[in-house]
Amino acid sequence: MPKKETTSQKAIQRQVAWAVLGLVFLLLLPVFARYSDYVLQVFTHALLLATLAWAWNILGVSGSISLGHAAFFGAGAYTSAILSLDLGLSPWATIPLGGVLAAGIAAIMGLFCLRLRGAYFALATLAFVEIPKVITDNWDGLTRGSLGLVGLPGLPSLRLGSYHLDVSGSLVGSYYFVLSYGLVLLVLVTLMFRSNLGLAFQAIREEEIAAEAVGIEVQRYRLLSLLLSAFFTGITGACYGHLIRYLEPGLVYGLHFSAIPMIFAICGGRFTILGPALAALVLYPVDQFIFHPLLPAGHEFLYGAVIILAILFVPSGVWGQLRKGHFVSIKTGSIE
Amino acid sequence: MSLLKLEALSKKFGDHWALKEIDFSIAEGEIVGLVGPNGAGKTTLFNLITCRHRPTSGRVLFANKETTLCQPHEIQKLGISRTFQSSRPFAKMSALDNVVVGRVFGGHFHLFAQSTDIDSARQLLELVGLAHKEQTPAGDLTLSEQRRLDLARALATQPRLLLLDEVVAGFSPAAVKQAVDLVRRVRQRGVTLFIIDHFLSLSLRVSDRLLALDHGEKVAEGRPQEVMRNRGVIRAYLGTRHEDESHGE
Repeated sequence: MPKKETTSQKAIQRQVAWAVLGLVFLLLLPVFARYSDYVLQVFTHALLLATLAWAWNILGVSGSISLGHAAFFGAGAYTSAILSLDLGLSPWATIPLGGVLAAGIAAIMGLFCLRLRGAYFALATLAFVEIPKVITDNWDGLTRGSLGLVGLPGLPSLRLGSYHLDVSGSLVGSYYFVLSYGLVLLVLVTLMFRSNLGLAFQAIREEEIAAEAVGIEVQRYRLLSLLLSAFFTGITGACYGHLIRYLEPGLVYGLHFSAIPMIFAICGGRFTILGPALAALVLYPVDQFIFHPLLPAGHEFLYGAVIILAILFVPSGVWGQLRKGHFVSIKTGSIE
Repeated sequence: MSLLKLEALSKKFGDHWALKEIDFSIAEGEIVGLVGPNGAGKTTLFNLITCRHRPTSGRVLFANKETTLCQPHEIQKLGISRTFQSSRPFAKMSALDNVVVGRVFGGHFHLFAQSTDIDSARQLLELVGLAHKEQTPAGDLTLSEQRRLDLARALATQPRLLLLDEVVAGFSPAAVKQAVDLVRRVRQRGVTLFIIDHFLSLSLRVSDRLLALDHGEKVAEGRPQEVMRNRGVIRAYLGTRHEDESHGE
C-alpha cells in the first residue's frame, strides 16, 4: 500500500526531526547552563533517572510492574563501590560487575516472584527489596552498615584520541558521561525492543496463553527481561555511586529508586521506547525548578499528582497517547 | 498411519468427569469435526491435546511420540497449533506483528525478523482477508477479524495439525461460506485439521469425519451423515422428546 508507506515515512521523518532537536538541546545544554551549576546537576540527574526508567521498562514492556528495582540499584551501587574502594579496581571495571551482581539478585528474585502476576508480582518485588537492604545494613565489615560508604573513587577521565573528558572532575564532564551512557542505552533498548526478543516480551504482556501456544517459553522470556532490566539498573546504580561518591543503604535502597522509574515509564508511555526517558527529562527538571521553590517541603506531591492524572487520563502514557496505538513495532519502522 | 492418537483419555475436574475414556485417532491430511452440546468436553479435549491441562489418565500420541506430559510451547514445536474459543490477539500489537510472532517463534528463533518472515506473514493476512488491516492494532479489529487473525497466527507457526476452536461461532451465513473456502485452502497447504464446531455449520460442510461427544463420552464417530443420524447425537443435541423425529438439524 504505497499511500500508507508515505504517511508512515512522514511520521518517521517528523520523529527523527524531533529526536535530533532533542539531542541538540541536550548536547548544547552545558553551553547554555554554564553560569548555573545547579541546572547542569539537575539535568545530569534527570538523565540518570532516564536510564533508570529505560532499564525498568525492559521488564515493564513484558507486562510486569516492579516496585523493587531499588534492590538492583542499591546492589549495583554497593558492589562497584566496595570493589573499587577495597580492591582498588578501576570503576570502569567495577561498574559492569555491579550490573552482574544486580542481575544475580534478579535471578533470585525471579525464582520467587516470577510465578506471580500483576499486583501480586508488584507486591512481592516491593517486599524483596528488604533482603539486600537488610544485608547491606548489617554486614558492617563489608559495607560499613548504616554508616554508609564515603570517599568513593570518582570516574576516571576518558580519552578518545586527543579529546579528553574529565568525568568526575567537572560537572560538564559528568553530564556528558551520563548523556553518553543514556545514548548507548537508548540504542540497546531500541535494538532489543525491535528484535524478536521485544516481540516475545510484548506478546507475553498482551496474551500469555496465546504466546505459549505459538511456542514462546513464557517463563524463560520473563526471566530474561527481568535479568536485563536488573543488569542496566545495577549499572546505573554503580554510576550514581561514583558520581555522588557516598552511599548509604537508606539512600540507594529507598522507595524513591523503585518508584521513580515506574512513574516515569508509566507517565511517559510504558510500551514505547522514548516515553520513559522523555518523562524523566521533563518531570524531574519541572519538579526541581518550579515545584521545589514553590513547595520546598512537599514538592514530591507533583509526582503523586502526575501519576494519578496520567493513570486516569492517559493510561498508555503521554508519548504512547500521542502515538495512538502505534507501539513498538518491528514492521512500521517507527523510531517511537 | 495416524497423526494424532488418543488412548483412553480421561479428565476429571473435582468429582466431575469432563472426559471419559476417549479413544480416537486422526490421519494425516484429514479434516475432522468435533461436535457436541455445551459442556460435552470439546474444549477440554483440545486443552489436553495442547497440554494446557494434564489428563487424569490415558495418553496422547502425536506422530507416534507420546506428548501427554509436554509443555504447551513444546507441543507447538512438535507441530500442533490452535486457535481459541474466544480469540486471544496480542491486542496492542499490529495485525502484522501478531502473525510475525507466530512465524518467528513457531520456527527456529533468530534475533531479528527477516524480510521472509514479514513476507510470509503478509501472505497469511492476505489468505484470511486482512491484508488491508496489517497496521491496525489487533485489539481494534472486529470479533470476526480477530478470529481470522488467530487463524493466520496459528498457521504462521507452520503446524502439521491445527486445532480450530469455534472458529465460525457467531458468523453470518456469508462469512461461514468464506470460512469453508478458507479451511479448504488451509488443507491444501498440507495441514491436518481438527475443528470444534458446536453449531455444525462449518464441520458438516468440510469434515471427512466427525467425533461427537456428550457429557464427556464419545457417542459417535464416522462420516458426517452417519454421525448426524446417530440416535445418541440427536438425543444430545435435541433431548429425548424429539427422538421420534428422524433428523436433527
